[in-house]
Amino acid sequence: MAKSKSDLLQGTLDMLILKTLALEAMHGWGIAQRIQQISDGVLNINQGSLYPALYRLEQQGRIASEWGSSDNNRQAKYYKLTRAGRKQLAQETENWERISAAIAQILRAS
Amino acid sequence: MRNRLERDMDRELGFHLEMETEKNVKRGLPRDEARLEAIRSFGSVEKVKDECRDEKGISFFDALWQDLRYGLRVLWKRPAFTLIALMVLALGIGANTAIFSVVYGVLLRPLPYERGEEIVFARQQAPQAGITNLPFSVKELNDYREQNQSFQSLVEYHSMSFILYGRGEPKYVTTGVVSHDFFDALGVKPLLGRTFLAEDEQEGAEAALVLSNKYWRESYGGDPNIVGEKLQMNDRPHVVIGVLPSIPQYPQENDVYMPTTACPSRSSKRVIENRNARMVNVFGRLRSGVSLDQARADFELIGARFKEQYPESYPDSRGYGIGLMSLKEELTREARPTLLILLGTAGLVLLIACANVANLMLAHLMRRERELAIRAALGAGRRRLIRQLLTESALLAVGGGLVGILFAAFGLHLLVAFAARFTTRAAEIEIDASVLAFTLIISILTGILFGLLPALAMKGSITSSMREGGQTTAGPKRHRLRSALLVSQVAVSCVLLIGAGLMVRSLLRLQQVEPGFDPAGVLTMNINLNWSKYNRPEQRRDFFTRLVRKVQESPGVSSAAVASTYPMNQTSITFGPFNRNIQIEGRLVGPSEPVEQADFRIASPDYFKTVKMPLIKGRCFTEADDEKSLPVALINKSMAKHQWGDEDPIGRRVSLDQGETWLTIVGIVGDVKQYGLDRDVTDELYTPFAQTPGGRALLVRTSVDPMNLARQMENAAYEVDPEVAITDVRALEQARDETLAAPRLMTTLLLLFAGLALTITTAGIAGVIALSVSQRTNEIGIRMAMGATPAKVIWALTRQGLLLVTVGVTIGLGGALGLSRILSGLLFDVQPTDFITYFAVFFVLLITAAIACFLPARKATGIDPILALRAD
Repeated sequence: MAKSKSDLLQGTLDMLILKTLALEAMHGWGIAQRIQQISDGVLNINQGSLYPALYRLEQQGRIASEWGSSDNNRQAKYYKLTRAGRKQLAQETENWERISAAIAQILRAS
Repeated sequence: MRNRLERDMDRELGFHLEMETEKNVKRGLPRDEARLEAIRSFGSVEKVKDECRDEKGISFFDALWQDLRYGLRVLWKRPAFTLIALMVLALGIGANTAIFSVVYGVLLRPLPYERGEEIVFARQQAPQAGITNLPFSVKELNDYREQNQSFQSLVEYHSMSFILYGRGEPKYVTTGVVSHDFFDALGVKPLLGRTFLAEDEQEGAEAALVLSNKYWRESYGGDPNIVGEKLQMNDRPHVVIGVLPSIPQYPQENDVYMPTTACPSRSSKRVIENRNARMVNVFGRLRSGVSLDQARADFELIGARFKEQYPESYPDSRGYGIGLMSLKEELTREARPTLLILLGTAGLVLLIACANVANLMLAHLMRRERELAIRAALGAGRRRLIRQLLTESALLAVGGGLVGILFAAFGLHLLVAFAARFTTRAAEIEIDASVLAFTLIISILTGILFGLLPALAMKGSITSSMREGGQTTAGPKRHRLRSALLVSQVAVSCVLLIGAGLMVRSLLRLQQVEPGFDPAGVLTMNINLNWSKYNRPEQRRDFFTRLVRKVQESPGVSSAAVASTYPMNQTSITFGPFNRNIQIEGRLVGPSEPVEQADFRIASPDYFKTVKMPLIKGRCFTEADDEKSLPVALINKSMAKHQWGDEDPIGRRVSLDQGETWLTIVGIVGDVKQYGLDRDVTDELYTPFAQTPGGRALLVRTSVDPMNLARQMENAAYEVDPEVAITDVRALEQARDETLAAPRLMTTLLLLFAGLALTITTAGIAGVIALSVSQRTNEIGIRMAMGATPAKVIWALTRQGLLLVTVGVTIGLGGALGLSRILSGLLFDVQPTDFITYFAVFFVLLITAAIACFLPARKATGIDPILALRAD
């Protein structure tokens, strides 16, 4: 069953968020910065689309949120990974590595 | 909770934007640019919020709530539009609610009794004596009970009036005297206590009473401890054993019920043992799996057996028949077609209302184009906008529905009176949960219907109108929609008007029908004799002769008679003619040829004078025509023509009993509309009461208001024999009016609906023209500045409207040609394609529409051209 393009992007975004949060709990802006940082500016997501994804993941129970104060003493909403989220991340990562290895092989083969 | 979500989102996204702004400032941008850059890279905040809300899942209801509040605000700000739309909807929905409550109460709602389809009424008939509803005797009932195979239970019922001594003053209470399993047969469970058991009907058992709900509440204040209380009736104590729930009672409403053993006359030896002491009514519950036809065949067999075994009780001179009819059928049959037509009509009115409000909505939306466009630009999804518009229309519709329920409640008692003509179930009509649910559903559907079309028509404009710099122009699509709505309104109004017009003509024709007699001032009542006392014809003759003589001598009476029936009485209308086979002397009928028949009646000499039926030829009955003289008969004009054509039938002889006795025809009387003004006259044959003493209707022509003499007449009867039971006391005029009542009410209702439709449509036309005028002030100004006369301007403005109306009327006429067939069952002497009606409606509609177009257009000519040109 082929995923549609937007599904694929959505799934990718989800994974990036989960991965980012796997390292440490963070607020939305921080997640956006981190993703940009890590990907060296290659993945420049539309910042706004981050939040619906965060809400969705929270609704699905993969991340949890709570309010806290930021470095500069402002109120910000922090997200962290839940156990279910951690499990899903591990599964998706495994899937991804398998697929990309296969693709890499195919590309090398020709 | 929703507010918290919003606040949280604002804070979270606000935080993000602040951080981003800071970041940009650190990169060197000035603060305000930094902010703009942050917003730009973020994307549409509203859109993000929307999507977040969507993800949250509860957003549907929150969005709905928002839409509702927004919709209310919008409607509040435009009171004129809101009020008009509400009124129109209220009328349309209210009409439907009212009719539906009748349809539901009468046709759809199951009988308030368990498995009501199994309940069946039994009726005995003595056709030769002209009696269609002969009560049963106890012996007959018991025989039917024992010998039948079709019923689970057969129960008896009759009603008496006794004096009850309980709390407070002694009072007459209507008492239902019933078998112990009466309530079981109906499937009625008591509210308090219990109903009767077999032990209660044993000889010597303590008398038990079951109270009706109404009586219990009114006379005992709903006392919960009433069970067990002893009351005194008929010189013995009766103990209250239960109270009924508040459901309609069949066959009649009674205050209290007692078992048969508690009724003094019913439990007397005379009644129990005499096969001819007939006083009870019988109904029962069929065995599951047994059909009504099977039961009928079963009972006919038993009836035939009776005639063989007890010939004295079923003499051929009276004849005997037994009939069964299902309770539900009896109660709904007559009402069904009429009610369904009314429902259809109400539905059409609602459609017109919808079209009208849709047009209003369209105009309303067009004024809000700007606002809608801005909201679309700010990121509100198109689907969301449409949902919002639909919410607005749903609000209007539900509001209209609520007001409509009020209208329906007011108009309901008129409708109940109407329905009561057809069925006793009218008592069950009320605005209850099902009706309210129906109203809610059609309100919402209505709202979607009239909201969707304009909303979709506006879809295109939402994005484009911003670019055009805010000039509202009526796009072609919208224009077409408006025209289509207008045309459809006119067409449907046309159909309704034609329907109403046909009914009016039919009613007028009906009222002009000559009934053949004069009911004014005639009193009638049925005198029921105790058959066991009067089992010989001479005794009956004697009784009625004395009674008639006595009545004739009373003050205020011009003439009196006794007969087997009187014209237009409900029972004969229900049961139809009593056809007897006749043989005409000198005419032989072959074995395979059909036998001649005539509607057989019995009348005393003064009958024709009393009801003012004309004597056309020969002579009427006289006192000389008695049991010792030549057997004679009178025939009506119809029969004379039918059987003898132009020959003179006087002196000819007919026989009713295969040639054993021959009756000589001595006169011809006029035709009378026996079965209603709209039914054909039948061949009628009358024999003198003195020669064939049957029948029980006493007719008295009075010089004063007949009902004033009723008491006196009853007393006269009691003086001759105190044991008679007098029923059905009424003025003959009532009977005649009753046959007209139903068509009259129906016509009134249809006229009402058609009038409503026309009003709504006319207002709609006027509205559309007025709108068009206001939008074309520019054009008007130019025309007038260029020298156009007011007439020309008006023509230019109304031309299109008139064209639309003409198209609508044409479609309507065509539709009516097709649909009016549905009414043909209700029309009397009028074709569904009656040209005059169609032409009249065409004319009326065109004139009305012309006025509706003309008035708003005329205002336009008052416009100052200079102002018009400047207004842009």
